[in-house]
Amino acid sequence: MTQSNERTPRKTHRTRAKVNLTQAFRQAPWRNQVQFVGLFLLALVIVVLVASVYLSISGRAAAAGLRAYSYSLERQDLERAIADHKSQIANLTSSAVMEQRAKDAGFQRIDPSQAVYVLVPGYAGRQPVVLAAPPGVSNSGISLVKSAYRQSLWDWMFSGINRLSDSVGGSTQ
Amino acid sequence: MNLRSLSRPKALGLLLTAFVAVIAIQMIRIQTSTHAAYLDKWAQNYGVEVRTVQSERGYIYDRWGHLLAGNKEVYEIGAELQYVKNPASIASAVSTLFGVNYDASYDAAKLVYEPSNMVYVTLADFVTSDKLEELINLKKQYEAANPYGENPDLPSLRGLTWTAHLQRTYPENELASNILGFYTYYDRETGKGYFGVEEEYNELLSGTKQKVVIKLDPYEMQEIPSAPAAASLVLTIDREIQRSVETILNNAVTKNKAANGTIIVMDPETGEILAMAATPRFNPNNYWTYGDVFTAGISFNKAVSQVYEPGSVFKVLTMAAALDTNTVKPTTEFVDTGVIEVGGWEIYNWDRSAWGRQTMVGCMQHSLNVCLSWIATQLGPTSFYDYLNRFGIGHRTNIDLAGEEVYPLSQPDDPTWYTINLATNSFGQGVAVTPIQMVMAASAFANDGKMVVPHVLKAYIQDGQQFSTATKIAGAPVTAATAYTLTEMLAVSLEEEASDALVEGYRVAGKTGTAEIAVNGQYSSYATNASFVGWGPVDDPKFIIYVWLEKPKSSIWGSIVAAPVFRDVVKQLVVLMNIPPDDQRFTLQAQ
Repeated sequence: MTQSNERTPRKTHRTRAKVNLTQAFRQAPWRNQVQFVGLFLLALVIVVLVASVYLSISGRAAAAGLRAYSYSLERQDLERAIADHKSQIANLTSSAVMEQRAKDAGFQRIDPSQAVYVLVPGYAGRQPVVLAAPPGVSNSGISLVKSAYRQSLWDWMFSGINRLSDSVGGSTQ
Repeated sequence: MNLRSLSRPKALGLLLTAFVAVIAIQMIRIQTSTHAAYLDKWAQNYGVEVRTVQSERGYIYDRWGHLLAGNKEVYEIGAELQYVKNPASIASAVSTLFGVNYDASYDAAKLVYEPSNMVYVTLADFVTSDKLEELINLKKQYEAANPYGENPDLPSLRGLTWTAHLQRTYPENELASNILGFYTYYDRETGKGYFGVEEEYNELLSGTKQKVVIKLDPYEMQEIPSAPAAASLVLTIDREIQRSVETILNNAVTKNKAANGTIIVMDPETGEILAMAATPRFNPNNYWTYGDVFTAGISFNKAVSQVYEPGSVFKVLTMAAALDTNTVKPTTEFVDTGVIEVGGWEIYNWDRSAWGRQTMVGCMQHSLNVCLSWIATQLGPTSFYDYLNRFGIGHRTNIDLAGEEVYPLSQPDDPTWYTINLATNSFGQGVAVTPIQMVMAASAFANDGKMVVPHVLKAYIQDGQQFSTATKIAGAPVTAATAYTLTEMLAVSLEEEASDALVEGYRVAGKTGTAEIAVNGQYSSYATNASFVGWGPVDDPKFIIYVWLEKPKSSIWGSIVAAPVFRDVVKQLVVLMNIPPDDQRFTLQAQ
C-alpha cells in the first residue's frame, strides 16, 4: 500500500500538471455550445441560401419556359396573321381588281401605236422581283445573341485564358 | 424546457430547424398523399403534348412578285366536351352559321366527356374569320344572358372553341390555274399538289412535317419547335401578260366557236414562259369542281398534256432542216403540179390545186404540201428524222410542269413507219406533238439556232435566300444562219400574203397551220386544228407565240382563225413588254 501510495502522488502530480495544461487551452463550455450552434446555423443558412437560390432560379426558369411557350404561340399567331394579310393584299390588288380600278379611274388599254417611248440613260428597265437575298449575301445565320449570354462561366473563363494566351503569343497552330 | 433558458442562437437554430423540417415533411406528404397518384397521372397525360409541326406551304409569285398562291387563316370549330353546357344550342349555332348538319353536330356535342379518349369533337372546319366573328358575338350574347351556362333552359355556347390554321388560297382565282395546278387543302393531313407547279414542286412547297413532343412542365418547357419554312417559288409568268392572253383566248374560242384553245408566250432567249393559257380553266380555290370541268379526255393543261397533229406549222421544221443541209435555198424553185406521189400514195395541196413555179418562200407562203413533201424526199428519211429528233419531236421538253405528255415519233426503223410518213410528216400530219414541243422547237429560229428548254420557275426562295434558275439550252438543231434565213423567209411570206398576223410597226415571222383531225380513222375536212407559230421582232426576237384553236367552226383555216389571235397577242405583248415599234427602236438604239 505504501508503495502504492508513494507512486500515486507522483502520478497524480503528473496528471494534475497535464490537466492544468489542458485546462489552460480548453474552451469554456458555453463557447463550445455557441460554436456548435453557430456552425449548425451556418450550415443551415447555407442550405437555406442554396435552396432559395435554387427555388428562385427554378421559378424564373419556369416563368421563362412559360413565356417562351407563350411567345411561340404568339409567333405562330403572327405568322398566320402575316400569311392571311398577304393573301388579303393579293386579293385587293389582284389583276381583275386592279383592271377594274383602272377602268373606274378612266384609264384604258392602249394600242401599240399610241405608246410613246423615251430613252432614259442608265435605266435598265423593269427588273424581276427579288424577294430574298441571293446566296452568299444573307447574314441570317449569324446569331443576334451575344456570346456572353450563351457561355457558361467555364466557357467564359477558358475563352478568356485563350485570349490572354493569344495576346502574349502563345497561340497554338 | 424553459424557453427563457434558451440562448438566442439556440432559439434561432430551433426556428430554422423547424422551418426546414416543415418543408421536408411537406415534401414527403405531397409525395405520399392520395393526390400523388392523381398528380402523377395528370403529369403523364398533360405533361407532354405530341403535336404535328408542319411548314406553311410555300407561296407562288409571278415574275414581278404578285402573289398567285398563298395561304389564308381559317378556323376549326370544335367542342371541349368537359365544358359543354347546352349541346342543343351549340348544334343550332354551328348548323345555322356554317351550314353543317344539326343532328350530327348535336350528337357530337352531347358526347360524354372521358378524359382518356373523348375530350374534343370537331364540328366544322375551314370557317372564315367573318363567320367566326358572328359566332363569337353570338357566344358573348348567350354568355351575357346566361353566365357560365348555369341555366339549362337558356342557350349557352360554353365548351365551343375554335383553332386557327391556314388554308391554301389563289387570289387570282382562275388566272393561270392551268399553270398553278391546285392543292387539296381540305385534306389537312395528306393534302398534296396536283397538276402544274403545285404538283411539280410539291416537295419544295410542302417543306417538312414532323411530330414533336412538347413538354408542358414549366420547368422543362422550351420554345415550341417550328418546322423550317417551305420554299416559295417565283415563276416566269407575267401576271398582266397572262391575263391579257387568257382574255384574248377566251374571246377567240367564243368568237370562232372552237372546242378549246391554247396560247403560249415564251422568251426564246431564256425559255421563260411569260404566259400559258388553255381552256378549259377552273378556279383552284374550288378544286373539287375539277371533275365537272375536266371531263374524260380533257387535259388539265393542253399546252403540255395534249398531243395533236399540228399541221402546217410543222413545215417550219422541214424547211429549216432543208436549209440547214443546203438541200434548198430560199430561191430554189419548185414546180408544183398539185400532186406528188410518195410511197405509192398521192399527196395533194390543201386546196387540191397546182400552184406552178414557186420559190421556197412561195412554198411556205402558200403552205404547199406537195412542195414540202418534195423537200422531205430530197432530204431523205435519215436526215429528215435526224432533224426532227434534234428539234425534240418525240421527246419531252422537260418543262417543269406536271403531266407533260409526248407522242412517240414513228421513224424508218419502226414497224409503224411507212414511206408515206415521210411526206405527211413534212407538213405536220401523221405526227403528234404538244404545243410546248412546237414552241421549244421553233425557239431555235428566234434564238440564233439554239433551242431553249421552256420553264416556268424563275427562282425559288429557301432559308431566306433566293436561288435563280439558269437558262438551259436543249440543243442547237440548226445554225444561226439557217435560223436567220428561215425567219426572213417567214416574215416575207407573211408580208406578201398580207397575213392577219401582221402588226403595224413590228416585223414578225410566223407560219399558220391547219390540220385535219382524224375521226374514226378518217381525216375529217370540217374538223381541224388551227394553229400559228410566230416570233418577233424579227431582228431581235423577244417573244415566241404559239396559238392553237381546236375545231373552230367559224372557219377551219389557221390563217383565218389563228393568225388574228397571234396578232392580238402581239399587240398586247409589245405594250406590256415595252417593245417600241421597229423604227422607234432603231432610232433609240442609235442614240
